[in-house]
Amino acid sequence: MNGQLLKQALLGSLAWLGAHQEEVNRLNVFPVPDGDTGTNMLLTLQSAVEHVRESQATEVSKIARIAAHDSLMGARGNSGVILSQIFRGFASAVQDKSELTPLELADAFDEAANAAYRAVNKPTEGTILTVARQAGRSAAGAAQQRGATSATVLKAAAAGARAAVERTPTQLKILREAGVVDAGGYGLQIMLEGMLRSVEEIQAELAKIRPVRPAAQVSLDLPEEGWGYCTEFLIQGDGLDVDSIREAIAALGNSVMVAGGSELVKVHVHTDDPSRVITLASKFGSLDRLNVGDMSSQHRRIREEAEPASRPTPAVPSELRRNGIGLVAVVSGHGLVEIFRSLGVDAVVAGGPTMNPSTQDMLEAVERVPYHEVLLLPNNKNVMMAAKQVDGVSAKAVKVLETHTVPQGIAAVVAFRPDLPAGENLTAMSAAARHIQTIEVTHAVRDSRSNGVTVKKGDVIALINERLRHAGKEYVVVVQEALDGIGAGDYELITIYCGQQVTEAEATRLTEAIRGNFPTLEIEVQSGGQEHYPFILSVE
Amino acid sequence: MAGRFRVVTDSTSDVPSEWCRRYGIEVVPLKVIFGGVSFRDRVDLSTDQFFSRLARAERLPTTSAPAPGDFASVYERLSRDCDGLVSVHISGELSSTVDAARVAAQSVEGFPVHVIDSRCLTVCVAFLCRVAAEAPSLEAAVRMVEERVPRQRILALLDTLKYLEMGGRIGRAQAMLGSVLDVKPILGVSDGRVEALDRVRTRNKAIPRLTDMLRRDLPVERLAVMHAQAPEDAERLRAVLARELPDVEVETGEIGAVLGTHVGPGAVGLAYIKRK
Repeated sequence: MNGQLLKQALLGSLAWLGAHQEEVNRLNVFPVPDGDTGTNMLLTLQSAVEHVRESQATEVSKIARIAAHDSLMGARGNSGVILSQIFRGFASAVQDKSELTPLELADAFDEAANAAYRAVNKPTEGTILTVARQAGRSAAGAAQQRGATSATVLKAAAAGARAAVERTPTQLKILREAGVVDAGGYGLQIMLEGMLRSVEEIQAELAKIRPVRPAAQVSLDLPEEGWGYCTEFLIQGDGLDVDSIREAIAALGNSVMVAGGSELVKVHVHTDDPSRVITLASKFGSLDRLNVGDMSSQHRRIREEAEPASRPTPAVPSELRRNGIGLVAVVSGHGLVEIFRSLGVDAVVAGGPTMNPSTQDMLEAVERVPYHEVLLLPNNKNVMMAAKQVDGVSAKAVKVLETHTVPQGIAAVVAFRPDLPAGENLTAMSAAARHIQTIEVTHAVRDSRSNGVTVKKGDVIALINERLRHAGKEYVVVVQEALDGIGAGDYELITIYCGQQVTEAEATRLTEAIRGNFPTLEIEVQSGGQEHYPFILSVE
Repeated sequence: MAGRFRVVTDSTSDVPSEWCRRYGIEVVPLKVIFGGVSFRDRVDLSTDQFFSRLARAERLPTTSAPAPGDFASVYERLSRDCDGLVSVHISGELSSTVDAARVAAQSVEGFPVHVIDSRCLTVCVAFLCRVAAEAPSLEAAVRMVEERVPRQRILALLDTLKYLEMGGRIGRAQAMLGSVLDVKPILGVSDGRVEALDRVRTRNKAIPRLTDMLRRDLPVERLAVMHAQAPEDAERLRAVLARELPDVEVETGEIGAVLGTHVGPGAVGLAYIKRK
């Protein structure tokens, strides 16, 4: 297999996944409007092939490297991040090869699976990981056969994936209960089948591919004078020496931070002469994500750029924070966005259920915040992994808070202290997020049974701390059950965030019912404006 | 009668009336104006009366510092039966009271009046008054009070930002506190300035925060729990501290009208002087 064949295979997998996107989306464990695995994988794959499509490279290593880099930037949702790691593992296995023998192709699949396992803290069997591993094993078996070709190896990989997907319900109880196979694993199976079809010269679906949004341009304007420029970039190359880069950069400025490994180094420096720094750094390798800011006017300018006129204008703090820490949150819904803003969040990335932002989307928000350290709040479990990739591709120091729900995110931001360093803030904010109780109320998108709760499509369902607990026909009844379930009477405050689709009458009815049942609790009602979830409640 | 001196303060120092009796501390009232009617703080209007009016008021009352003449007449009267005064007042950054006292002090010729800007307020000022009153001489009193000024601290949980906002006093704290959500700020006063230290959404979370902050400032030589119409929370806080600090006498103070106008009912906090 050479570079151009791999390119055709990737384009084929994109087309085939595009055709099966909805099918993958429907394999949702919980009957909630959430986690569109098919969409996330497709968008990630689109990013992966964005530049591959134009490349004329014949070396398999070059095509694989482009796909690995671009898939990481475009990774969305947890499945997208794992997919990007699969590309990364594949690319590292083929890094100095221009062509692959069938055996080398099989080895690359195996290394791809290993990389996927390494990307996850606690690997779970019965997921995309298991499917990737089985595909690799089947490929290895086929590669050892006499007369093996790229096509026979791919065919075995796809068949191995299919068999592994069918077994996922026996490995995971939640899949069994929901009566589905694993969505991410199925997506990978589809991709491998698409590659196979392509390699067998079936490319009919290519015309349907949707374009990918162009990445925002990084501006590089150098004001003529000023006391200092905050200069940040990544150096990419082979065999980079972090120490000698640090020494060279340190001679040209202060607040120097140089970190990374032999292939990617992050540089941050305050300097009076950014062009000298850039010239110097470019001798080490190629520069990426270059960002030069005039520190005195940076904050104001960034605010203006980042705010389209339609958005509410937040109060601009008159001075930068003492601790030099910026906050970026993933959140949608005009009311929720304004709440996060008013609590001090510097940049907001649109996203949430059914709309997981990519690593690139979060990276852009992180880079436009006028602070070198950034705390990132995903506020959704499916955004978590893509968020964790941001630190690896940003010149800034990015830490991700484990906020899985909007109330957890709000609790964390409330606990943020502008006078304390990142470590102390992380501890306090994480603790605050852990101690809040979240109730999310939505409608079931299909019939289902999970966590022992039987649900009919359209039912009102309540998730307590991300687990489906109660179902019924009416908001008031289901929410009351959920509040009783967590013993809300022992708490002090219930905050109700009303969604976009909720009428005022519905909101009033629910609020009055809660007030009636919990007369000693404080009740605060806010218009969240979120989609899909008519009500989100926090209890604390 | 060499060395006989008295202590004067203003009504924002929230000196318990028992201390006034025991130490002969003289309190000059500020004025609280509700809808055009002026009341002398703690004279025409008790603290309880003030908060019940505040709850009904559509607009916040305003407060005003005593006139220099108010101080002058007190200084004049006291000059007849003692040899000097220590006059301790609310921070000059928060009120013009101390300026009025200074002007008045110069008008009483040949009689020493030492006016001290506490750079603090409420029970901390009361503590300074007590330190002065217990001092062996006027000179010692002045020295002992001045030496404690930088060691005072107030920490307070406000139940709501409403009153601070209505009074336009959010100031520097705004970036942290201006919020769509109802947050309860924890404010601190040290070295004359008010700053936002933290924010919480429930009162139960605030008590451990307050005690944590106090712990970082231990040891303390004087400590009080204070509150505005929240005696139960104050008692809860006092009990926690009494258990943890068996060697310190934990006083309880009530926040009066002037500060109450800005913090609102439900505020609870700590006032203390750190040990050297």
